[in-house]
Order: sequence, then C-alpha cells, then structure tokens
Amino acid sequence: MPKLIIDNLEIEVPEGTRVIEAAEKLGIYIPRFCFHHALGAVGACRVCAVKVLEGAVEGVQMSCMIDAQDGMKVSTTDPEAADFRRSVIEWLMLNHPHDCPVCDEGGHCLLQDLTVAGGHSIRRYEGGKRTYTDQYLGPLVQHEMNRCIQCYRCVRFYREYSGYNDLGVTGIAGRVYFGRLREGVLESPFAGNLIDICPTGVFTDKPSRYTGRRWDFERTPGVCIHCSLGCRTTVSARYRQVGRMEGRFSQRVNGDFICDRGRYGFYYADRPGRPRSGRISGQTVSVDQAVYEARDRLQRITEEHGPQAVGVIGSGRSSLQTQSAMVHLCRTTGWQGPVFRNTRITGAAADTAACALNPENAVSMRELETADAILAVGADPVNEAPVLALAMRQAQRAGAQITAIDPRPLEWPFDFEHLACRAEEIGEALASAAERLSDSRRPVVICGTEITDAGIVLQAADLVAGLRGSGKTAGLFCTLPQANSFGAALLDECNACAADLAARVEAGQIRALAVIESDLWHDFPDRPQLEKALEKLDLLVSVDFLDTPLFEKADIGIPSLTVFEAGGIYVNQEGRAQQVRPAHTGGLPITVTGAGDHPPRTFAPNVPGRDMPAAWVTAFCLAGQAPPETDAQMTAWMRYNFAVLSDLARMDADGVRLFAGGKTPIAHEATMPEKPEQCLELLLAAAVFGGEPMSDYSQCLRELAGLPAVWMDRADADRHGIAAGDRVGLGFENGEVSFVVRISDHMAPGVLVVYRHPDIDWQPRAGDTRYNIREDRIRRIEKA
Amino acid sequence: MESRVLLKNRKPDRILDLAEYRASGGYSAAAEMLQTGRPADVQEALEAAGLLGRGGAAFSMGVKLSTVAEYAPFPRYMVCNADEMEPGTFKDRVLIHTSPHLLIEGMLLAAFSARAEHGIIFIRPEYENAARILEREVALAREQGLLGKNIFNSGFDFDIVVHRSGGRYICGEGTALLNALEGKRPNPRKPPPYPTVKGLWQLPTVVQNVETLCFVPHVVQNGAEWFRNLAAGPDEAGTKIYSVSGRVRRPGCYELPMGTALSEIIETHAGGMAGNGRFKACLPGGASTRYMPESMYHREMGYQSLSDAGFRLGTAAVMVFDHSACLVGATVNLLAFFARESCGWCTPCRDGLPYLHDLLRRIENGQGRAEFVPMLREMAGQMGLAYCAFAPGAAAPVESLITYFEDEVREHIKAGRCPFREAE
Ligand SMILES: Cc1cc2nc3c(=O)[nH]c(=O)nc-3n(C[C@H](O)[C@H](O)[C@H](O)COP(=O)(O)O)c2cc1C
Ligand code: SF4
Ligand code: SF4
Ligand code: SF4
Ligand code: FES
Repeated sequence: MPKLIIDNLEIEVPEGTRVIEAAEKLGIYIPRFCFHHALGAVGACRVCAVKVLEGAVEGVQMSCMIDAQDGMKVSTTDPEAADFRRSVIEWLMLNHPHDCPVCDEGGHCLLQDLTVAGGHSIRRYEGGKRTYTDQYLGPLVQHEMNRCIQCYRCVRFYREYSGYNDLGVTGIAGRVYFGRLREGVLESPFAGNLIDICPTGVFTDKPSRYTGRRWDFERTPGVCIHCSLGCRTTVSARYRQVGRMEGRFSQRVNGDFICDRGRYGFYYADRPGRPRSGRISGQTVSVDQAVYEARDRLQRITEEHGPQAVGVIGSGRSSLQTQSAMVHLCRTTGWQGPVFRNTRITGAAADTAACALNPENAVSMRELETADAILAVGADPVNEAPVLALAMRQAQRAGAQITAIDPRPLEWPFDFEHLACRAEEIGEALASAAERLSDSRRPVVICGTEITDAGIVLQAADLVAGLRGSGKTAGLFCTLPQANSFGAALLDECNACAADLAARVEAGQIRALAVIESDLWHDFPDRPQLEKALEKLDLLVSVDFLDTPLFEKADIGIPSLTVFEAGGIYVNQEGRAQQVRPAHTGGLPITVTGAGDHPPRTFAPNVPGRDMPAAWVTAFCLAGQAPPETDAQMTAWMRYNFAVLSDLARMDADGVRLFAGGKTPIAHEATMPEKPEQCLELLLAAAVFGGEPMSDYSQCLRELAGLPAVWMDRADADRHGIAAGDRVGLGFENGEVSFVVRISDHMAPGVLVVYRHPDIDWQPRAGDTRYNIREDRIRRIEKA
Repeated sequence: MESRVLLKNRKPDRILDLAEYRASGGYSAAAEMLQTGRPADVQEALEAAGLLGRGGAAFSMGVKLSTVAEYAPFPRYMVCNADEMEPGTFKDRVLIHTSPHLLIEGMLLAAFSARAEHGIIFIRPEYENAARILEREVALAREQGLLGKNIFNSGFDFDIVVHRSGGRYICGEGTALLNALEGKRPNPRKPPPYPTVKGLWQLPTVVQNVETLCFVPHVVQNGAEWFRNLAAGPDEAGTKIYSVSGRVRRPGCYELPMGTALSEIIETHAGGMAGNGRFKACLPGGASTRYMPESMYHREMGYQSLSDAGFRLGTAAVMVFDHSACLVGATVNLLAFFARESCGWCTPCRDGLPYLHDLLRRIENGQGRAEFVPMLREMAGQMGLAYCAFAPGAAAPVESLITYFEDEVREHIKAGRCPFREAE
C-alpha cells in the first residue's frame, strides 16, 4: 500500500488509488468536473491539477490521472497548479451563461461552487458566447445545452456505463454538442441519472423544475420501494410534499444510480385523490371514527361467527412494521392471515426465493458486478429490477459471459446470449445451460419470480449449491415482486394466498376482510372471482395510502401514511433490511395562496397536522391494543416478538442481512400447468414503466409507457397474417382486449407477451401471470 | 546538390509504376528479408540507423517496433499515417505521387517486423488522387504476390486497405486516428497503454508516417551506417524532405541531408527570398512549431540541432516570412485554424485556444491592451497542460511570437492598429 504526502499530510491508500481520491480521504477536495468515481478518470476537464513535488513524474499533473505512489509528495496549493486551475475555470466560464438565478441547478451546481471557490468572479474575456438549440428529451429530463462545460460525464454514463446509444456527442472544438441526433424521448430507463451526474444545469429534473432550491428542501436519506432492490435515494421534501428524488450512494446496493421508475415514482404520495380522511359507507368521517368503527364491527363479526370469519390481507409494499403488526393482529385475534401473496404460483416462487437465500449464497449487487459468468433464469432485470441491469452491464464490461433463459423478447443494454424457450421449458433449459458456468470462478445465477414457479427457483438454488460444492464462489440473486416481499416471506405464518381467502369467502367461511395496503385488485388473477367474493362479504375494511379501486369499494376506508411520512424498514431481495426515515410530516401539502404571486406569501389557513396514522398503528388499533409510542419502541417490539427480526439490532448504514434460516416456504401448487394444443401461451410481464401499483400514479411515467402492446414471435405472427403495428384483439372469457402488435425474432415461439400497462385493466380468469389463449381467439382489428 | 533517396525516382508528371520500381531494385529488400531474415533484423537495423518518425514527433521507429512484445496477441496492425493535415506540410503527398510502391514495400517490411497481418493506410480525404493511386497499386502488388497470403513463399501474410479520414486535423494524431478507425470520435487516447501494446481494437498496432515508412526498404537494403552517413551532421541521421513554402522564390519539396542549414535550404534550394524580401522568421516544422527568428538563419535543420536550440523540426515544413509580414496577423490565422480543429475533449484547447485567438485578433485589429501580453504568455504556457500534443503545438507560435517579437506585438497595441497594414 503506497504511502504518500499531500499538503504535508501523510496517508496510506490501497494500490491503484488516484491522487484525487487519496486527497479526498484526507479531507482535501481537489476540484473536478470530469472525474466521477463510478465513471472513472478521463482527464478531460483539467481542473484537478496539482503539483507533484516528488515522484516518478514531477510537475503539474492531473490528480485524477495519476496513481498514488509510495514516497510521492504532492501539493494542491502550489501557485502554478492553482493558477492553472483558475485558468481552467475561466475558460469554462467563457461560454457559460451568467444567469444562475434562473438556472435550476443553482444551489447545487458544481460549476457554481468551483467558480466561486476558485475566485473567478470578474469576466475578462470580451468575446461573445456560443449558444445552442436545446432539445425536447421527454417528460423527465430538461435540456439546456448553453450551460454545458463539456465534461463528457453524461455520455460516459449514458453510453459506456449504462449501454444506451441515443444520447451522444456531435461536433468538435467549441461546438461539441451533447444530445440526441434528433430531439425526442430518451430511450434509457436510467436517463434521470443524467440530472445527478451532470455537474451543471444542462440536464435538470423536469417535473420539479423551479419548485425550489436545494437549500429549500428537507433532504432525507430514503430507500426506493418501487421494486425489490431497495436502491438508496435522497428524498427532497418541501411544504410537506416530496419534490424531487435523487440517487444516493450505497456501497452494497445500487452504487450511485437509480432508475427512472424509482426517481419519478413518488407522485402517488401527494395526488389530490389520495385518501386523507376516514370513510364509512361512502361518508367522510374522521380517521379515528373510521378506525373505531372498523374495530368494533370486526369485533362483532368475530363474536358472532368466530375468529375464522375474518381474513386479513397485506402486501409486499408495506413496511416491516406494518407487516409484523398485521401478523401480531392475527395472532391476538385468531383471524385468518395475514396473507401477503395474491397469486399462488408466482407467490410461491417468491417465498421460495426468499427462503432459499442464506448467508453463503446471497450476493449483493456490488458483488454481482464482479461475477465472471451470469446465468439469468426467467428474469428480466430491465423491467423487473432495473438497476440490476446496470450491475449486470458492469459485470459484462469486465468480461462476464451472460446467458438468459427466458421466453420474453429481452432488450438488455449489454451483450448476452438469449436462450429463448417457453416458460414451462425453463427448467429443462436451465439444466442443460448449467455447464456454461463450469469454467467460471465467480458465477451468479439470477432467478426471477414473475414468470417462474417454485420448482425453478429451487433448481436455481440447487445449481448454486452444486457450484459452491465444487469450490466456486457462486451466488444466487433472486428478484422479488415488491419492495418488501422478502419481509413478508420472513413473517408469513399462514400457509395461504389471497386466492385461498377469496375461495373461503365464496364458501361462506369468511365474512369480513381487512385489506391493508394491498394490491389485490391489481394482481388478483381472477377478477370475476374477486368481485363475486367481495359482493358476498359482510364487511370490507381497506387501509391504504393509495386510492385503489378496493379502497373505493370498501365499507370502511382508513387512510395510512406513505413511506415519506412514516418511514419504516424494508427488506430487499437479498435480505438486506434498510431503515427509511420519514422525509416530512404527514398531512396535506402546505399550499401557497396568492397563486404563486410575488412574496409575501401566506399559507392556506387550514393546515392539518399529522392527522393520519401509519398502517401499523391502525393494525394495533384494530386488535384493540395500544401501539408502541415511538418508532424506536416499535422496532424494539418487533425484535422482541419475531425471532427472525432479532438481528435488526445490528442494523448500520449498510442495513443488516436477515435470513429465513431454514424456514420452509409456503407450499402452494408448485408448478405451472402445461400448455394445451392449439393455444398460445400469454405471459403477463412486468414493465419498467407500467404495472407497478405506486409509480403508475405518476403522470410523467405514464407518458413513457407507450401503447399497450402484445409481442409475438415472427413465425406465430406470420401464421396469423399479422404484421408489426397491426391492432389485434385477444378474446378472454370476460371480453376482448385490444393491443398493438410488436414482433420479435428473439423470443420463444408459441408465446405472446403483454407487458403490464397502466391502461390495461384486465385479469384473465384462472391465470397467474400466464394464460393460455386459443389461437382462434386472436383477431386482427386493424392493419398497420 | 540534392541527395535523393526517397525522391530519386521523382518524375515530373507521373508515378513510378510497379515494373519500373521492381526494375530499379524495388521489393528486393523485402524479398530477401522475408525469405531469409528475422523480424528482429528489421527492427534492429532501424534502431541502429536512428530513423526518427517523420510525422512530427521524431520518435525512433526501431525503438517503437521493439515495444511490440514477442508474445503480444494477434492480429496486429500496421497503420500508415497519410493524414498530412499539418499546415505547410506536403511531402507525404509528393511521396505517394512519386513512388507508391516504396511506401507499400516499407509497410510490408515494417509489418514483417511487427508480425502484423493487417495494413491500413489512413489518408486525408482531400488526397483522393493519392488514395486512388494507392488502391490501384495495392491491387497490382497483390496480383504479383507482393501482398496477400504467403508473400515470397515466406509464409508471411500481409495486406493493405486504404481508409479515407473524416477530414479533421486531429484525426492525424496517432491515437485519435485509432479511435477514428474504430468508428469512434477522434479524441486522442492517453498512453499507457501505448498503441504497440493496445492499439486498434486493443491489439498491437504500429503507426508510422508515410515518409518514415518510405525509408525502411532503403535502411534494410543499405544498412544503418549508410543511412546515418546521409545526414549533414554526426548527430543526425538520413535525409529529410523539407516542404518549403512562404516568401521564397521556389517553394517545394527538397530532399536534403538531415541537418542542412536553413540558409542553405532557402538560398541554394528554394531560390532565395522572393522579391526583395529579407528573412524575418520561419516556422521550421509546420504550424505547430515555434517561430525561428533571424538569429537562427544559419542553424542546421536537424532534429537534434533544433531541439538543442529550443526549437522543433516537426514535419520540416518550413514556412518563410519576410520583413513585410505581420507575424501577429500570421499567428491569428494559425490560431483560427487550431481553435477550429481542436477535438473538443479538454478545456485548455477547446476553450483556451479561442481565448488566445480572441486576444491576438483584438491586438491585430487595434483593440489590444497592454495587459493582453502577459495573459497571452501565461495561457500559451498553460496549453502545455492539455490532454494531448495538439494544444502545446497550437500555442508554440503564440509563445514564440511573444518571446521573439514582443516589440512587434506592443507596437500594434501602442499604435492601435497593425503597423504592416496601410494606414486607413
Ligand atoms: C495534432 C496532431 C496531428 C498530427 N497529424 C499527423 C499527420 O497528419 N500525419 C502524421 O504522420 N502524423 C501526425 N501526427 C503525429 C502522429 O501522432 C504520430 O506521431 C505519427 O503518425 C507517428 O509516425 P512517425 O513516428 O512515423 O512520425 C500528429 C500529431 C498531432 C499531435
Ligand atoms: S451536458 Fe453536463 S454532463 Fe454532459 S458534458 Fe455538458 S456539463 Fe458535462
Ligand atoms: S431499480 Fe428498483 S429499487 Fe432501484 S430505483 Fe429502480 S425501482 Fe427503485
Ligand atoms: S489538446 Fe485536448 S481538445 Fe485539443 S486535440 Fe488534444 S485532446 Fe483534443
Ligand atoms: S477531474 Fe481530472 S481532468 Fe477532469
């Protein structure tokens, strides 16, 4: 480990550390624009100049381009280096506009900071400034090219790091331009990172433009709950409203970046229709009234029909607090549940995946980046767990061979080999593809739980165990349906899913349902069955922060707090429990009266306080118990009452890993049914924008979802005389649904793939995420 | 008395064709080397000969070849840099129009030494005629088994393609050229790794200038000592093609012993100063070298001799200015070129050169101020900290202008106009 001296301070750093990073460890911040620890050093901006006083190459050097070496002596304050840095800033400012007050980057702009810090405050250059035309880049990212300082970070992130090519550089000399060849919506689902990575105001957050300076916001560390990865975020809130989301560095989970679903998924939290008061039979009441009414009526049904007459349904989008309070609720009342799964087959796959993970085989996303071979089974990271695709790309760039076994027309931003097969052939394909990992030393098997079943998950886990047995550091990486599906699997005590409870409702055994933050309406496989069951109920209680159709239909509705108001613990798909702190207090956003006029502003007089309880508080109340008084007491209570959660005591900045510890997963029907003849198999698959219950409320993301489409293999399409762009109707028992046709040459034949879309509200009967559709029920409505 | 090695076959109106080239002994060096020699023989001969790169950087070709490791991966590439965008330089074009097979044989020998199987001639798009000549002659050589598989029954395979550049100055920079060939933006690469280790598509690649390569058959045939003795002085080696332009009577390409005195080049070969001009200064090696003032008039124009005196021979494109030329105006002109041709990668070059240009332009137009002079000096010096050699090259005329002709610059500022222009 080289030991060097920077500004008379000695430091020892690992081999290969750049001088700029070594200095940072000493608390010396050397200016930089192009250097970024995730993107590496390229030596373009030249603002990180320092003087090497003693070392192999002496003189003024770029500190991002030279490795720290033993015995090196570096000065960051040397006049020659400082003068040069000052010149670089002056050069960068020649063309930069001087209108920070109307730039949305102002206040968190690296150029602003370094210009001020470098002492460049008087313009000497008398020439004009070059100007550019900006481009429309879609609903998320605003473009203002005049502010560009040509650090090349954007394209290095967009093209090299994340593998999309529709943004690039054109022109040379003083006319280099960063944008698309033609203006249009950015294709990458990671485009929002441009906002974080651009050191100036070229790329800014479009939906939140001009809503506040950085110092206006309360900034709180958060965790994304829009998929199971649990990426770290920074939540910016103002006036009791989340305004902006950014990626936050995490050593283990997401690194620096997040996806656009995670960045823009938060708008559900303050939409006008969000439940904010209690509701009894359609009448608005106070929250307390609704809670007490629900408690009393559930109590009465319990007394009249026994505890078995009440069922409780939860989900993987609730915090661990809410989930454990629900388990406690059922333990104390004897009610049925809680069930956290809506579907049988994929529900069992997810439970199995969580239980298959153990301290040996679990890998974090950072560890996955160092894999030398990756086998992805029934997993589509770009759509199911987007940031995982970035991690896989880093592995691939470092030389990993990636193989995918999947029926879907996968479009991943890196090279991989796609073994396209139907869902029921995945197991077989996995068995024969296993030998692809035989030459690797650090293989990772990625297994999805959206289109697979428990059998495939177990097969993947066995494969990893076998590889480990033969001396490889093999890892298992499963993706789960929701942010806290892992927590649900840890806590689940009842061997059932929502479909089972619905059957018991139909059979008259269950008379009341309490559904807490549940997406039952959204993913219950058989909508008619669900509707019939709900009709039969004596009482439906819904607790939610989303105004789901279920909430609308409930006899009693009780609002709950979002993660931004209540915080909570969420366990990601690798078993990592991460604490989220509340970002702002609950209640209505403070609205500004005067229609945005000039100050002074007055606030609306009716500012309600923290007037809603977190769902876990409500759960205690429904049980007739007093909830723990503080968040800390709640966590202690959870540790005390649930052995699997006892390790929460060890939670630190990286969270803490929780494992099921040999728990046997819920045994649902393990495998999918075979496909009958004369049928195409229709897969309902996750989409990055569309179908995730919370982010579907974000208008800006809906714009990106495109038209509802069905993907067909070319041979199947030819057989039906259907061409790309045609409109087809697919006939289900409960009606026809129409789609635009997309055709792929690299998906499994005999399969139709429909990506979830906010505009298609349809649940084929008796399916899970798979449905067999007779070929004669496919009809062309309109030619392209 | 021009010592013609490279240009000995120069014809006024046509190239030396393949038959003529072979009749004059062409390809015999390659035949013998491929059949009986070892790759290291070529490298050793070149290193002993002290053949320095003629594209401007003057790096020993033999040393460069020695950095292609024996166990380096295949395929390897031999790239001929025929971009010739350095203002004032026109020797490569003349060489191709004189004897294209000399270049092809040179590439063949160099490729043999590096055990490269793919040859690429990267040529300036304005040189369309030269490109067509090369394409035609490469095909002829292939027909005669001088390129292709198993050349001279030696088991060695080598072939050449001609690639037209996108047409920007920076594409001629050896590493930017590789990016350009890969279809990327022509931003230079920062070694290490050097192209001989990881060049085109990360494989070993040797990049040499046309003129450098044309010497190879001669060195292989006649030996290192012969080559060294061609020079005018003991510290130099070989001959050099000087591209002489500007205020001389007979501008043109002159192949002379390396280290021929500037005064001799101008007076004996280029016909002396044009009109009744007096020598004021010259750019000795293209636009990216320092002005040589009158005190250097008798200096020997060799790599060693100029570098000892603090100058650079560059491509030996000698641009001559007489006493009536405004060097401020000339430098403004050069800077306009460089500011336009910057690849746009690094700040000093992309934004600093337009700044320098703006300051000098103001001086030339009579809007200069005294404080511009130290600014010019400081910023020109800081161009040395740019990413590649482009910016320091671009700053060389500015820096030498301030160093040797500060009075002329200050005169512009004091008079509020260019003293060389007619008063309005
Ligand atoms: C800005 C710039 C432009 C250059 N342009 C050319 C060129 O047009 N032709 C050339 O042969 N070398 C050019 N060079 C030099 C090459 O980088 C490289 O040194 C040369 O091609 C190597 O061949 P040599 O050693 O035979 O000279 C240029 C260098 C720089 C910095
Ligand atoms: S747009 Fe931003 S990130 Fe891209 S080069 Fe310009 S300043 Fe850098
Ligand atoms: S990958 Fe998942 S957890 Fe990460 S930001 Fe996107 S939606 Fe959120
Ligand atoms: S000095 Fe910088 S901007 Fe100029 S050509 Fe070289 S790399 Fe490009
Ligand atoms: S940060 Fe080192 S050159 Fe840009």
